[in-house]
Amino acid sequence: MSKEVRFGDIAVGSEMPALVKMPVDHMQLVRYAGASGDFNPLHTDPEVGKKVGIGQIAHGMLIMGFVGQAITDWIPKKCLKKFSVRFAGMTRPGDTVTVTGKVREKADGNKIVCDVQAKNQKEEVLVAGFFEAVLP
Amino acid sequence: MADASVVGKEYPPFQWEVERGKIREMVQAIGDKNPIYVNRDAAVQEGYKDSPATPTYITVPVMWTNVLFKIVKEMKINFARVLHGEETYEYLQEIYPGDILTGRMKIVGMDQKSGKAGSMDIVKVEFTYTNQRNEPVLKATTMIVERK
Repeated sequence: MSKEVRFGDIAVGSEMPALVKMPVDHMQLVRYAGASGDFNPLHTDPEVGKKVGIGQIAHGMLIMGFVGQAITDWIPKKCLKKFSVRFAGMTRPGDTVTVTGKVREKADGNKIVCDVQAKNQKEEVLVAGFFEAVLP
Repeated sequence: MADASVVGKEYPPFQWEVERGKIREMVQAIGDKNPIYVNRDAAVQEGYKDSPATPTYITVPVMWTNVLFKIVKEMKINFARVLHGEETYEYLQEIYPGDILTGRMKIVGMDQKSGKAGSMDIVKVEFTYTNQRNEPVLKATTMIVERK
């Protein structure tokens, strides 16, 4: 799946293959709540979201999970050394999330630094951050 | 409640056993089809000892042991107004099914900011994890925000 990328094949500006996810739905949020243990009802009970005034939103960590999926679809998990994100926007049921990334820097020791982001179908940024990896 | 005096506070270590089924639940919820996370043979073929934990797996012990809620409660943070601001992981070694992790939690930052959406309190928490051989495996930094 993700074993062919080598340091020499990558240039600053190289793009990580984009990952387009299936639309987020209520069932996915329930499943993610059960898997992760984050049972904040804001994510799983639309009524709670209404009361708080922001509506039902996805777990930020689910979207970081999408970004992690895109990264380790591209480079092997074992090459990943650092992964950092800022939660910039709210994801709602029905949103289609697309993850993209671009190499910002190549450094000594076969290290790459790559900016990543997840956006919804309206091009709003949901998650933005970077990862560092050491490639063969 | 921004209270700078708690910066540096450490909490008693917590333990967590890594289960294969929980890694599977996480990738199924995310929709990540990478076979290494659920199929030991596929993982071994790619050079792992077993199916590795995913990049964001470590949220599982934090949520299931409720450690972060200790801080939320202690600091009288209104949970309904808490947002996850940032999350950072440093991977030091692979985490595998059967590993017994020891997590240590420490408050490393406390800040108050005001922006266009009003003021907010920012709490930064650092987690360090070692495995059953006392080898460091992961460092995590979580930033949570309480909107006022």
